[in-house]
Amino acid sequence: MPLDTSAYSLALLRVDGRRWNELRRIHAQIRTQAAADGSSYLEMGHTKVMCVVTGPSEPGPKRGGMTGGVGGGGGERSSTADVSVSVVIAGFSSVDRKRRGRGDKRTLELQSTISSALAASLHTHLHPNSTIAISLHVLSQDGSLLAALINAATLACIDAGIPMTDYVVACTAGSTSTYAANDEGADPLLDMNHQEEQELPSLTVATLGSSDRVAVLVCESRVQVSRLEGMLAVGVDGCKQVREILDRVVREKGRRMIQEGTIEKGMSLDDMDID
Amino acid sequence: MASLKRSFDSDPLAANISSKVYVRSTKSGKVQKIVREVYLRQDIPCSSKLCKTCLATAPKTASGTPIPPVLSNAPAGTKNFPQGHYIVPDTNAFLTAMDLFEQDSAFYDVIVLQIVLEELRNRSLPLYNRLVSLTKSEDKRFYVFFNEFRLETHIPRLEGETVNDRNDRAVRKAVAWYGEHLARTKVKTIPAVVMLSNDRDNLRKAKAEGIHACSLAEYVKQLKGGERLLDMIPETEDGDVIKEKKPGQLLYPEYFTMSKMMTGVKSGLLHQGTFNVSPYNYLEGSIRVPAFPKALLVLGRENINRAVDGDLVVVEVLPKEQWKEPSTQVIEEETIAKNENPDADEGEDVISEKERKALQEEVKRTQSKTTEGHAQPTARVVGVIKRNWRQYVGHIDQSSVSQSGQQGRKQDSVFVIPMDKKIPKIRLRTRQVAELVGKRILVTIDAWDRGSRHPTGHFIRSLGELETKAAETEALLLEYDVQYRPFPKTVLDCLPKEGHDWKVPASTDDPGWRDRQDLRDLLICSIDPIGCQDIDDALHSRPLPNGNIEAGVHIADVSHFVRPNNAMDTEASIRGTTVYLVDKRIDMLPMLLGTDLCSLKPYVERYAFSVLWELTPDADIVNMRFTKSVIKSREAFSYEQAQLKVDDASQQDDLTKSIRTLMALSRKLKQKRMDAGALSLSSPEVKVQMESETSDPIDVKTKQHLDTMSLVEEFMLLANVSVARKIYEAFPQTALLRRHGAPPKTNFDELANQLRVKKGLELNVESSRALADSLDKCVDEKEPFFNTLIRIMATRCMMAAEYFCSGTQAYPEFRHYGLASEIYTHFTSPIRRYADLVAHRQLAAAIEYEAVHPSVRSRGRLEAVCKNINVRHRNAQLAGRASIAYYVGQALRGKATEEDGFVMKIFSNGFVVLVPRFGIESLIRLRDLAEPEPVASFDAETYTLRTSGSREVAVELFQKVRVRVTDQKDETTGKRGVKMEFIRAY
Repeated sequence: MPLDTSAYSLALLRVDGRRWNELRRIHAQIRTQAAADGSSYLEMGHTKVMCVVTGPSEPGPKRGGMTGGVGGGGGERSSTADVSVSVVIAGFSSVDRKRRGRGDKRTLELQSTISSALAASLHTHLHPNSTIAISLHVLSQDGSLLAALINAATLACIDAGIPMTDYVVACTAGSTSTYAANDEGADPLLDMNHQEEQELPSLTVATLGSSDRVAVLVCESRVQVSRLEGMLAVGVDGCKQVREILDRVVREKGRRMIQEGTIEKGMSLDDMDID
Repeated sequence: MASLKRSFDSDPLAANISSKVYVRSTKSGKVQKIVREVYLRQDIPCSSKLCKTCLATAPKTASGTPIPPVLSNAPAGTKNFPQGHYIVPDTNAFLTAMDLFEQDSAFYDVIVLQIVLEELRNRSLPLYNRLVSLTKSEDKRFYVFFNEFRLETHIPRLEGETVNDRNDRAVRKAVAWYGEHLARTKVKTIPAVVMLSNDRDNLRKAKAEGIHACSLAEYVKQLKGGERLLDMIPETEDGDVIKEKKPGQLLYPEYFTMSKMMTGVKSGLLHQGTFNVSPYNYLEGSIRVPAFPKALLVLGRENINRAVDGDLVVVEVLPKEQWKEPSTQVIEEETIAKNENPDADEGEDVISEKERKALQEEVKRTQSKTTEGHAQPTARVVGVIKRNWRQYVGHIDQSSVSQSGQQGRKQDSVFVIPMDKKIPKIRLRTRQVAELVGKRILVTIDAWDRGSRHPTGHFIRSLGELETKAAETEALLLEYDVQYRPFPKTVLDCLPKEGHDWKVPASTDDPGWRDRQDLRDLLICSIDPIGCQDIDDALHSRPLPNGNIEAGVHIADVSHFVRPNNAMDTEASIRGTTVYLVDKRIDMLPMLLGTDLCSLKPYVERYAFSVLWELTPDADIVNMRFTKSVIKSREAFSYEQAQLKVDDASQQDDLTKSIRTLMALSRKLKQKRMDAGALSLSSPEVKVQMESETSDPIDVKTKQHLDTMSLVEEFMLLANVSVARKIYEAFPQTALLRRHGAPPKTNFDELANQLRVKKGLELNVESSRALADSLDKCVDEKEPFFNTLIRIMATRCMMAAEYFCSGTQAYPEFRHYGLASEIYTHFTSPIRRYADLVAHRQLAAAIEYEAVHPSVRSRGRLEAVCKNINVRHRNAQLAGRASIAYYVGQALRGKATEEDGFVMKIFSNGFVVLVPRFGIESLIRLRDLAEPEPVASFDAETYTLRTSGSREVAVELFQKVRVRVTDQKDETTGKRGVKMEFIRAY
């Protein structure tokens, strides 16, 4: 068994060889499923998720057969689009095969967090009486799951062409020593992997684009208040880096689509503002 | 269709990412495949002060402070490496010779590779912790190089390569890289990078690759004074030669594989437990397993199969025809295995002829008895889960030293006899036999393979001549794992800056006075043993207008000075308790606090934590409260002084009156406790009187019991119980409490049977109340001491009280059996016990004096603290007793007195006598009675031993006997102890 997180102080290296302020490798692709309205695939280290967006569409039995969210029967009329999120965590995604039922509380919480984060930055008022169905699938888990899900959902929404104020980007931050150790000199950590999440305090933060506006902040572990500020600062900084990476992916895909002639050239230059 | 396939070429980072795949099995037997990312980098410094490039890229913490380089720019040289050298040991080097690396004379500038650290952690956590603390020490210059994360030194495992081979290759790769890297610095003298390994194959490959490499022995020989260090290299390494000579001569059965044991234990066919050796018979062990109410017996060398006392082992129950009775015979290793030759392990059977004979007699007796019910299930050890080997104190068996060993410096095998009789002899190979004979030495066990009858070990250091005060005291402290080193500077830095001049601030506006009650006008005094310097507690009482009485217990406010989680707190939590030896006290907290600033000395103001009760004259509690306070003790009495004052009717001052009131209340409190079923137990307690100047022991006195002692005791118990209730109410999950489990009834089986047979008395163990009552009835009109004797024996049947965290037990389990209290904790001695300090913090939080500190609320952490202090507490008691035993021996030196004693235990070839006057017990063997050894017949039913022939004696259990007590140097343990000679029975 390799060393655990307590070895950090020996040479300022984390369990996987990163420094405190380094992200894991992020690999992202958009438009992975041609038939969908919007889709994406995202890896943050060994956390792998895919996302498919359907809509905005009229809620009804024909399209968007997905349950969840509000617009079930279409009887009620709302002035904004409804963002319904479903998260499916594959049984094979973690080390031990685990079957999670529909009503799993953790999954429900993930869904509602993502849904409210995206609803705030998508221009839902442009699509009254419709549903945006975001379907997320977790293929592999290695920490920072919520962050990866938010990032994948953002990419898929962009691919689907849903108007939004800015990227909602997320990442996690932690601290190098446990709550009980109460080490004043603990360093903050960026982008926690599974082992670190198990052993150390951590939080997930999502910001709106390159601004410092925090869209999501989830902290489920116990940590001293004095350490929280450092963790948050590192997390927000990480979000900016993630935005850069996602932005590059989107632009790269756009450029390719123009080259391949998937989109009319004239239109793209004006509307899509690529380079 | 869009393809999701991607090539790694497009990713600039791809080359730097590797992954680590390994398979592990969990406790429940599941096999998991773990895949982890590994990010390879080039900015991991070599950490040599010679290298300027690495200095520039030194990693920084979040606050921007870089890690300074560790390795010296002019490392020490050896014969073969005059230019200086850095050492890179492999895992085996650390596993086998960690003691070497902790030496002060050599082993500086060591590069610890990450792979080595990881392997070490897998193999032995204690060694890993020792190594980590070495890397943190500034003067040893140990640097951890994360070779697995550095791009150049990371190597993937090749097809068909074993993990070990791969790791060895990684070590060689790192050594080679270091060599090249340092060569690039272009300094004049480039230190050599030397790999230390004991693996021949690895050394050979290293030589082939052109890397500097040495075996440990080769390396140590190059050092100055290496001869001395050579002994610390475990014998298995250079013992290769011996092994090759005699292959296949295996004395012990092979252990089962780990997986076979695990499945066996899971299916209930095998049993797991801690192996305990009988203190009277080194060939008999017992093991308690959860499946059976009574312990399983493990008899004989072959069945014990290399298990050492304290090891976690797996046993298999033997077929019924092999079940036996526990031995009624004393078998000591030195008498039976006296003339073994340490070099001659060959050819002999594992059980020597004499041992076999001793066992045969056992069997005969068991079989002669028709009562089959007496035979107990026996078992044999089939594997060891975890060794509990530590460092052992012992001395070299004079008889095992060969003549040549006395003179030359040739390596020689000798036996070391550990002080702890339960540990087998350890075979040691050393070149300094001549110097070590007659010394107390510290050794450790390295291995015990199937081919050798005794475990092999190596020498660590010498403590000094046998029977010198310094050596014996240190031996004792080491044997009981007492932390006796002086407090490090980091701890002393936590003390108040004013030192001895610290005073309670005069102004009540000072932050120190926040929420403190001013109790300086109360007539408070302390009552302690003579010469007590660390005064934890003080008391007062005063009448209230309504006829009730206010009584107060004031405890030193240690938690004011020792803040949670600083260096001093950590040190105290490791030490756990102050250890009292006859001539020495090993403090838990630095002297300044323990004997001055915290100590409730008379005539000065001190911070205290007070418990105040309003009691009716019948000692019923009307109400109580807890508060931090400032007090001024009026006087520090000794028990004797206080007793005189109380008894002297002419003394009518307020202070004396208040002590009398407390005395009256304490009697009522005691009566209430007794009514509830509290036990009054006993242990032989004596006090050694020392000559004041030379501190040589001159006399031994039994401790006298005074009423003032029970006065203090009762109020301390009351305070502890009150505090326990309060902190449990405030922290139902994390209160630190103390419990004393009810002993299993079977514990008393033997004693009850003995009483029934010998005295016709019944021992009722239904409840503590019933036990207390039946103990009261155990009296012999002719012999007043008989009752105490039974109480001493009953005490030994009890469980040990333990600290625990309230969340780990159900409420009914909280009970303190001995005190017959529902709930109990330790609160009254924070200067000398860490548990009390934690209770202080919890109580302070419970009364909202201060915020709850996370360390007193984290259950996991408290459990760890409890585990440690339970062990420390026990060790401190044992060390204290051993110290008294040693000094009793010294006090009796050269004297011979006749004393009365009582037979406590009886075997077929000897009996144990307790002499209350000295509080000592000793074994008298048949062969001590007369020469030649008299023939004896032993009746186990009636506990009687009759001898005939050379001397005719009849001895039975509980009998009063006359013995001659002399001192004698015990050849086995090297301790001076008492020897008893039987004179006559009464």
